[in-house]
Amino acid sequence: MVPAAIEPTRYSMLYAQILLNGLVLGGLYACIAVGFSLVWGVLNVINILHGSFVVLGSYIAYFAYVHLGIHPFLSVILAGGALFALGYVVQAGLINRVVGAPVLTTLVLTFGLDLILNNGMIVAFTADYRTVQLAHPLGSTVVGGLVLPLDRLVAMLLACVLTVILYFVLVRSSIGRAIVAVRMDREAAALMGVNVKRIYAITFGLGALMAGAAGSLLSLIFPISPLNGSEFLGIAFIVCVLGGLGSISGAIVGGLALGAIQSFGALLIGPQHGLTIAFVLLIILLIFKPTGIMGRRGYE
Amino acid sequence: MAEPFFQIKGLESGYGEIRVLWGVDLEVNRGEIVCLIGSNGAGKTTLLRTVSGLVKPAAGSVRIEGEELAGLECKDILSAGVAHVPEGRRLFRTMSVRDNLLMGAYLRRRDKSVDEDLERVMTMFPRLAERANQDAATLSGGEQQMCAIGRSIMSRPKLLMIDELSLGLAPRAVELLGESLVEINKAGVSILLVEQDVMTALDLAHRGYVLDRGRIVMAAPSEELREAPAVREAYIGAS
Ligand SMILES: Nc1ncnc2c1ncn2[C@@H]1O[C@H](COP(=O)(O)OP(=O)(O)OP(=O)(O)O)[C@@H](O)[C@H]1O
Ligand SMILES: [Mg+2]
Repeated sequence: MVPAAIEPTRYSMLYAQILLNGLVLGGLYACIAVGFSLVWGVLNVINILHGSFVVLGSYIAYFAYVHLGIHPFLSVILAGGALFALGYVVQAGLINRVVGAPVLTTLVLTFGLDLILNNGMIVAFTADYRTVQLAHPLGSTVVGGLVLPLDRLVAMLLACVLTVILYFVLVRSSIGRAIVAVRMDREAAALMGVNVKRIYAITFGLGALMAGAAGSLLSLIFPISPLNGSEFLGIAFIVCVLGGLGSISGAIVGGLALGAIQSFGALLIGPQHGLTIAFVLLIILLIFKPTGIMGRRGYE
Repeated sequence: MAEPFFQIKGLESGYGEIRVLWGVDLEVNRGEIVCLIGSNGAGKTTLLRTVSGLVKPAAGSVRIEGEELAGLECKDILSAGVAHVPEGRRLFRTMSVRDNLLMGAYLRRRDKSVDEDLERVMTMFPRLAERANQDAATLSGGEQQMCAIGRSIMSRPKLLMIDELSLGLAPRAVELLGESLVEINKAGVSILLVEQDVMTALDLAHRGYVLDRGRIVMAAPSEELREAPAVREAYIGAS
């Protein structure tokens, strides 16, 4: 008698749990993608380095924890700062030389730079997977029948906070307005006295900063290896296509959507294929709605 | 004789191999409104773009109060006091009217004087005050031109260059904008106005230049240009 009544609730709890896991992952995906999207939108550069920037952020968090005992949540500042500097220098020194060129030129340049950075990391850190083993993990707690993995949840919340901060920097600060102005009309921005090349370098630095911060948070969740770089890049790409290019709200919607799709996909056809479903959806979306769920907009 | 306030001498400019301007000489005195007229493709826009640094000149000099501007970056030319309202207004989409105006003050330190100037622009153009938080792309053509002019005076220029004030606007809107220009000019800003609508240009300006295929072919006070047979024939449609 009883099981018949219990079954549906059990399923809905299962689905709720999967949705929760998906959204937690999705918040982190949004953080990975938002910098990639910013760079693509403002510079019209598809930054192949982005995935390796995430991995480098994870390594910074890993070594900071192992050698200095700094918690990865705090390393966000360290990794973000280091990657901002790296991104700024790469853009100012190299990419700015070809930034007006067709997308293919900049794509090839960032692809080449990625080969150097990624292989450099393999040489320096080996390709072995490393994991951050926290001495005092937060563990998990059960609320209303849902298991909340606390470390992941805090990582996701921090990722969201960072994304919101980036949003306010773009719409409220003078530099942020200049970034949006350059995106909308670089000549008109130059007429306002904006140093466009410097804004490019700052934008690329901010993109790298968000990648490094995301990498730092992800070090708690995924094993770390340079081999993950291409997966992170793929994630950033799908999120941008799902959510629409160049807007922060788009990256958030796209990230959460991808997290949820991947979670349910894993349930349906096995965890090893979660991303496959996402890629199939990507292709379908590219065919039927190439501007993404949110369409192409500014930074609202 | 004292050096004029703003002086272009022997300016040559173009795009790559294509030469558009051939030794242009032009002057604006302090407090003057000067217009530059000429048919499509004469090189009016190219002249303004070269002065503001978007296009690098091949030869010649551009001076304001004796300071050489030719070859400098846009931002240095703007800080020297030359602002450029580009053809087609070129407002920043997705940004509010207020943020567009603030972009004009990008090189200035954000202090009380910026807020006061913002207030002044909003008083001059009450329509912008009503729409301060609206996306600039949603403005009507006339309001966009107000915003573009307001944006460039936020940099506190000494010389304001406007490309096609009346482009695509109804006569009433042009009249309003013209009144604002006179007001701006009375406040001490010299103006170089590029116009297709020759009657409007000559009504507003003290003096005018005629540019033809990259060369200045005539320079005279507005009343004289209005009566000149060549101008009447070519640009006003002899009546
Ligand atoms: N970006 C460019 N590259 C190459 N040639 C250009 C470019 N912009 C303008 N030209 C050429 O320079 C010449 C002058 O153009 P310009 O836009 O300065 O004329 P204009 O007097 O402003 O004309 P209009 O009244 O139509 O605005 C034209 O022959 C035009 O084809
Ligand atoms: Mg023109």
